[in-house]
Formats: sequence, C-alpha cells, structure tokens
Amino acid sequence: MPIKLMAASRRRPGLTRAEYQRYIEHFHGSIARMERLKIDCYVQNHVIDGAFGTLADATHKLVADRDAVVELSFPTFREMLETLEPATPSAASQDGQFFADERNNIIVMAEEEEVAVDTPLTRFNPGLGIIKGVGSLKVLHYIMRDDSVFREDYYQNFRDAHVKAIAAAPYARDQLRRCVMNKRCRLNDNDAAARKHFKMVDPPVYDMIVTHWYDTIEQAGAFRQYLEALQAQDAAYADWSRSFYLYTREVPIVRDTPKS
Amino acid sequence: MAAEIRERAVQMDYTTWLKSTKVKADRPALDAEEAKRPFAKYYAEDFPKPDPAHVAKMDKPIDPSLMIHPEQMNDLLNPGDLAAEIGWGHLPNGAGFIANRMIYPHVTAAMVDWWFVWHTLEDLRYRIWYPPQHAGIMLSPGGRARILDDSIPLKERNWGVTHHVTEDCNCGMENIDISFLSPKDFGFDMSRWQEPFVSTFAGGFGWAVTVDKKDDSITAPALMCHIFRSHPKGGIEHRTRFWMGYRFSNGKPELTLPPGIKVPDAAVRGLAMHNVHEFTRWGDFLPRIFKEHGGRLLA
Repeated sequence: MPIKLMAASRRRPGLTRAEYQRYIEHFHGSIARMERLKIDCYVQNHVIDGAFGTLADATHKLVADRDAVVELSFPTFREMLETLEPATPSAASQDGQFFADERNNIIVMAEEEEVAVDTPLTRFNPGLGIIKGVGSLKVLHYIMRDDSVFREDYYQNFRDAHVKAIAAAPYARDQLRRCVMNKRCRLNDNDAAARKHFKMVDPPVYDMIVTHWYDTIEQAGAFRQYLEALQAQDAAYADWSRSFYLYTREVPIVRDTPKS
Repeated sequence: MAAEIRERAVQMDYTTWLKSTKVKADRPALDAEEAKRPFAKYYAEDFPKPDPAHVAKMDKPIDPSLMIHPEQMNDLLNPGDLAAEIGWGHLPNGAGFIANRMIYPHVTAAMVDWWFVWHTLEDLRYRIWYPPQHAGIMLSPGGRARILDDSIPLKERNWGVTHHVTEDCNCGMENIDISFLSPKDFGFDMSRWQEPFVSTFAGGFGWAVTVDKKDDSITAPALMCHIFRSHPKGGIEHRTRFWMGYRFSNGKPELTLPPGIKVPDAAVRGLAMHNVHEFTRWGDFLPRIFKEHGGRLLA
C-alpha cells in the first residue's frame, strides 16, 4: 500500500454519533463499493472514545471531537488523484456534506512504516491472530509535531521514544499486536484546492498518525500505560497539547482477501 | 568550559531557521564572524564563466527519445555515453528531465566525498560554492550529529541526512529539502557498482518551495543524481540527472504529476542552467579549497 488518505471527520450539526456512523457504514460505504475505481483498500474506523491534549491543559486548543477516521489506500499517487478527482465527480465525493462537518476535516496523505512489536499474537489463543494484524481495538494516535523540530528528527525522535516507552510499559509490550507509523507525505503540501473546496481555514497539520492494534477494548489500559511512558520521554518532537488519540472499531468497506 | 565550536553553534531550530531563510534569500553581506572564517576569501573571488558552447546546449529542450526515465538509472553504469549527456526537456509523462556532464581535470572522488559533507555545516560554506544564487544551508540537530560523527566513512556520512538549502535555480529563491540516499536506496544495482564505471555518488530526493510560501504555493518534488567516474585523461567525469515531478515511494520512483500536467519549462531550464553555472564554479575551486581544508570538517 504505497499511499493512503486518512480523513478524520466529525459529524455534521444535528446528527448523533450513532446516526453518523450508521450513515457512513451503510450508505456512504455502499456507494464506495459500487464506485470502487482505483481503491485498493477502504476501512472506516468508528470512534468509541478518545482524548485530546493533556491533563495539564485548561481547555482544548483545537477542535477535539472526532467521530470517525476513514482510510483509503491506493497503489500510486496518480491513482489516488484519478479516484478522488475524477473527470465526472463521483457520488462518494459529493456525499460527505450529508454526514460530515467538512470544513473541520483533518486530511492526511500518508505512507506506512511498520514498527516491530514483541507479541504479534496472543499467548493464550494464537488463533486470534488468523487475520494478521487486525484486532478489535484500533487506536489512532495523532501526534502533532513540535513546530521547532525538523521533520526528520521528529520521526527519529518518535522511534527512539517509542522503543523506550514500550520498554517502560510492560502491559503494552505484552498486548500490542501491531503498530504502524503513518507518515504525512509532502504531496499534502499541495492540497490548497481541496482545502478551498471544503472551506477549510488553516486546518491543523499532523505529520504522523500512529496506529496501534490490541485484541479488544479490554486492553485500552495498555495504551494508556504506553502513552504515559511515551510522554515521559525527554526527546522533543511532539506538541502533546495539540495531539489526540482515538479508540476505534475498524469497519472494512473494501478489502480483498489476500492472495497468498 | 571550552567555547562551542562554530559548526555546532550555528544550529537553529526549525521555526527559527524557516524564518531566517527570508533574510538569507536577500543574500546579505557577510557578518563579522563570517568574514573572519578561513574560507571567506572564496566568497568574493572572481570565478570562470561556463563554456558558452555548454550553455548553448541548455538553451532549448532536447528530443524526449534521447532521455532516460528514472527507472533506467542503471544505464548510467554502462560504459561510454548515453544518448543525452547534456540537455533538458520533458519526458512524455510531463516530468522534467535534465542531463549535464562536467569534466574536472583536477578533482578526485575523495574531494567530492569531502565536499558534500563539509559544505553542510554553515551557510558560508554553501554560499561560497556559487555566491550569486546560493543563500544558505541548515541541518537538523540529528543530521548535524551524523555529519560530525567521525566513525562513519565520509562517503556514507550523508546517507539519510536532509540538507535544507536556500537557493535560486532561476525561478526565485526557494527552500529545498534534499534528502540524501545511499546508491542502493536510490535504486542503483550494487552488483554493478564498481570502477571504472562509477567512483562515487551524491544523490537523493528533494522538495522545493518558494521562500515566500503562500497557502497555494506548489511544493515540487525531484530526484537528483550526481554520479562520478574516472575520466580516461585524468580527473573525474561528473554526470548529473534530475527527474522533476518524481518522488520515491517505497523505494521506487513515482510520478506525482496530475494527468495532463507537465513541469513548467522555466523550472526545468532554470535548474539546468543553474547546474551548469554552479558546477563550473565548483570544479574550479574544489581542488584549491580541498588543499586548504580537505581531510577535516572543522575550520
């Protein structure tokens, strides 16, 4: 999966979270299946819970609510463009206005970097790992880069801090089944037309979203243990007051059975 | 406690550096500390102009059938010349292509390896390379630590390091982030990586955007390849290739242009001309500055 688009949205005014999630799974998802175009894989991550900022913050510094993050993967950037900006607008591309508060979307074109984990399968029932890397609880961790840190150091400092945090968080080390860094692609810098279309004003820029997979919602505490250890590291790279994480349930919309 | 060495003292954080590039873009006169640097004399010296015949070859675009796509980069390891060694134009997919060749009778591969590390450490080192159009350079703290790590061979020192340069390639001052790669990560066939076909290499991928970046400014990617081989008459032959509009995706070249879009002529021609001028200057002063400062990074 060379490139994917990750869009974090919140529901439009007047919708409950349940109405929003029902709409995107059963209506929007169906449209996408009918107009698959060049999509390799499309998953929705329905938000169960999450937190924005830190306990030290008196108030939220950015829009804090998110109700879903959709991930659309494409073989190439060109095929992403052809799918998202077809000559004739697709039904899916025009559907967002009916469920999302579009001007507050956070859209990131990202490329994946797999992070090794100690225990990719459960010890008590390895059968749960039959669908590799997929778990019931998926945590999406949006880590805002500290403005003063160069991008290349931000990624490396995170890698170093992650290793130390995992070492300091035994519950997370035992329960984390998969971890992926989704690194923002510089092509994102050229998305002014999309921002204008959605009337987005100075949207926050996230240079990385780290995805964590755990077996069930029962392991949410493992992520909290990890997060505390991560934030305790000295290395400068993150603006934690503008970072957030989401506990989600993954809903596959388009995902082919692996050939091998 | 000893004073911090200048090569570390010039480090800025990202925000401060980005702001500073607007000032650097005006190429201000050297400050008092810069003027005292042992290589400051190179900033003001006269240097030779490129051969007019060479410049003329960069005037108009060449036939696309003479160009190579980035996936054909290993052709550069073939003996002899490729169809186009000097020229620019567009691949049929709209990407910009530049080929340039320089012969340096008095340059060695060791000088090349030293230069591409040495010049990263402060603005003035980059400015003396080509004063009319080179405005400044910065490394991240992590990049600087690697560049100053003497346990890494000089020819490998830049691998994984990003040079944040401010330069004018004839379309106005830009901030260009050039991430250097090993030849293997760039895509070369390492089973063919040997003398006399190649002596050394400096290359990677870059993202360029105007110093006066606005919300709708385009950040343009390119692949950059400087490959060097011994010249039969002595010295070294330098072959440059740029593929503008390409980036690396999972280690492979990928075209990023939307359908029907081509890299503007002015950008391709501008970089081609810049390349001829900056490397004419480079070939002239590298042997001299290496004689004075080669073999070490601190000055």
